[in-house]
Order: sequence, then C-alpha cells, then structure tokens
Amino acid sequence: MSDTESLWAGWMQAANGGDGQAYARFLHAVTPVLRGIVRARGAALSEAAREDIVQEVLLAIHAKRHTWSEDRPIRPWLFAITRHKVIDAFRRIGHEAAQTLGDEAEMVVDAGHEAALAAREAAEEVEAMLGQLDPEAAEIVRALKLREESPAGVAEQLSISEGTLRVRLHRAMKKLEGLGRRELR
Amino acid sequence: MNTEELIARMAGAPAPAPLNRGRMAAQFLAAVLVPVALFLLLAGTRPGLMAALENPVVALKTLLPALAFGLSLAALMRLTRPEAEARAPLRLLALPALAALGLLVLAGVTLPPAGWIAEYTPFFIVECAGSILVLSIAPALVATRIFARGASPAPGVSAALAGLASASGAATGYSLFCTQDNPAFFVFWYGLAIATVTLAAALFARRRFAW
Repeated sequence: MSDTESLWAGWMQAANGGDGQAYARFLHAVTPVLRGIVRARGAALSEAAREDIVQEVLLAIHAKRHTWSEDRPIRPWLFAITRHKVIDAFRRIGHEAAQTLGDEAEMVVDAGHEAALAAREAAEEVEAMLGQLDPEAAEIVRALKLREESPAGVAEQLSISEGTLRVRLHRAMKKLEGLGRRELR
Repeated sequence: MNTEELIARMAGAPAPAPLNRGRMAAQFLAAVLVPVALFLLLAGTRPGLMAALENPVVALKTLLPALAFGLSLAALMRLTRPEAEARAPLRLLALPALAALGLLVLAGVTLPPAGWIAEYTPFFIVECAGSILVLSIAPALVATRIFARGASPAPGVSAALAGLASASGAATGYSLFCTQDNPAFFVFWYGLAIATVTLAAALFARRRFAW
C-alpha cells in the first residue's frame, strides 16, 4: 500500500468516526490533486471556474463519503467521484474539454483506466511540486515515497547515513506541505 | 465562498452513518416479500404447486425471474460504489434473458401455431401482467429510496436495475400463483411486465440516483 493511500485512508477512517480535524486534513491533502486534474482537463477555463469545479468535487466527496468502505482502497473511490463530477461539470458548462473526455458510458465502465489516468494526473501534480525542491531532496522523496525503495538502499546510493536520509526526507516533506498550503490559498 | 472556508465548513459537519449494504438488501427484500406474501395469502398459491414445480418448464417460470432478481439486486448493490464497474454485472443478466428466449423458441418449435397464443386472453393477460406491475410498485419505490444513498457510477443503469429487481422479484412471487404454464405465454407477458417496470424506473428514478 502506498504512503498516500494509507495516509488518506487513515484520515478518512478517523473522519468517518467523527474526527473533523482528520477530515479537514484529508480534504486539504486531496484538494491540490483535484486542482491538478481539473487544470489538466480545463486549461482554457479561468482559475475561478476551475476552482468552482474543484469545490463541486469536494462537495460530492462530502455528500458521498459514507459510500467509502474502510476495507477498500480509498484512491479508486476518490478518483471515481472526481471523474464523475468533473465530467458532469464540463458537460454542464459546455466546455470543449468535455469533448476530449469521450463517451461517458465508456469511461464509466472503464473505471480502472480512468483511475489510472487520474493517478497519472495526480503524479504530474506531485512531480510539479517536486520540481520546486532541490534535486537531491526531490530524488529522496521520489525514491522513498513514490517508488517505495528501502531507506538503506537509498542512503547507500546517495552516500549518506540513514539518519541523514531521514532528516532530509523530513525537511523535504515539510517543504512540500508548505508548497501545498500555498497553492491552497 | 473560498475553498478553505468550504473545507472548514465540511469538516465541522457531523459524520454520516456508513452505508450498510447488508441492511439495504434486507430492507429491499422485505419490500419485495411483503406485497408478494400478502398477495399469496389472499389469492393463494396455485393448486398442486409442488407437483407442478417438478415439471422443469413450470419450475423455470419461477427460477428465471428469481435468477434475474438475484443478479439485478447484486448489480444494484455493487453500483452503490462510485468506483464499481458497471458492465460486468450487466453481462450476467444476459443469462436469464437468453434462457427465457430459449424457452420461447422451444415453445415455438414444440407447440402447434394455434397453441402459441392459446392463453392470450384479456383476463389472463391483465391478471398476469397487471399483478406483476402492481406488486412491483412498492419495492421499486423502496429500492429507489434506499439505493440512491449510494454513489452510482451510472445512475441510469442503477435506476433501471431497481426496476428490474423489483419486477423480477414480484414475478417470482406471482409465478407461485400463476397457472399459465405455456412458455409462449409466461415468457412474453412476464417479460413485458418486467421490461415495462425496468424502463419506467430508468426514466423516472434516474434523477434520484443522480448525484
């Protein structure tokens, strides 16, 4: 299970148990991903129009959060809701981007493909954020958080101790968190 | 409202009760069984029901709608998840449809042409199709109310499945009363009644499943 998956699932599990702070953390964490997906599909839209769609997706996540089962992965659930609402929004505003979305029925039945597409867009978003870190810090995050390589192996490749690796990872994650928050504003 | 405010507001809302799919299925089963049980209590089952069911064709009159009921209910429950794949469960529904078609062809081959529509009297048609339509109303309303709490990736399909499950459940119960054992009769009229409810649900309940 990837780090994001377990993190998001943990927050959502706590949220469904009534923990509002965990729910806010979850929503804050997914919002930049949603923005990335909406931006990728509606580049010609104004920022305000894209943000409206992001808010619609957030509202749908909120309204349908009881449909996520804790024994199932959260990302396919999240991306399915996102896909559904993004298609809906583009169809409604009649934006030409809707044309590129293809036939809705086709996309609905091909949930795996869509989830992969959404995941790729999310990965692009993450990559854009990583581009704002220094190259070594970005590589540490990619190796440990995205490729899930062993800390020992990564430390050896970079010729640093595991302790130093942990410190640099921590700093990189803090910086990423700051970047994410800045994007939220 | 900016996104930060929206998130803060949503985070402050109470957590909803999780979707209990077992309870949803139980509620729907009750909505199918209660009208059918009342109907059978008032009208009674057909004379010699158990002996009649030993005839495979008569047994299929009950088993095929029962199979359609089980498969459509399973698909309906599956489609309460937004990430569910809609096409696979629908393919399974071709099984009872093809079997029904096979029965119809068999009747066409084995019965003389006059026998194909021998039981097509207004009384039998109204009794059969009318009973299935009436017995479908309550379960279709209940199915729409409870399954629309889900997040179907294909709201129109879910609405149609709610109608299909309701009408095939009703037809299963009604078949225990029905004495028309000619497949040319029951496949056609059961099928028409089930298709009518399915189409009506797809048209009128779709909006309830939309989100």
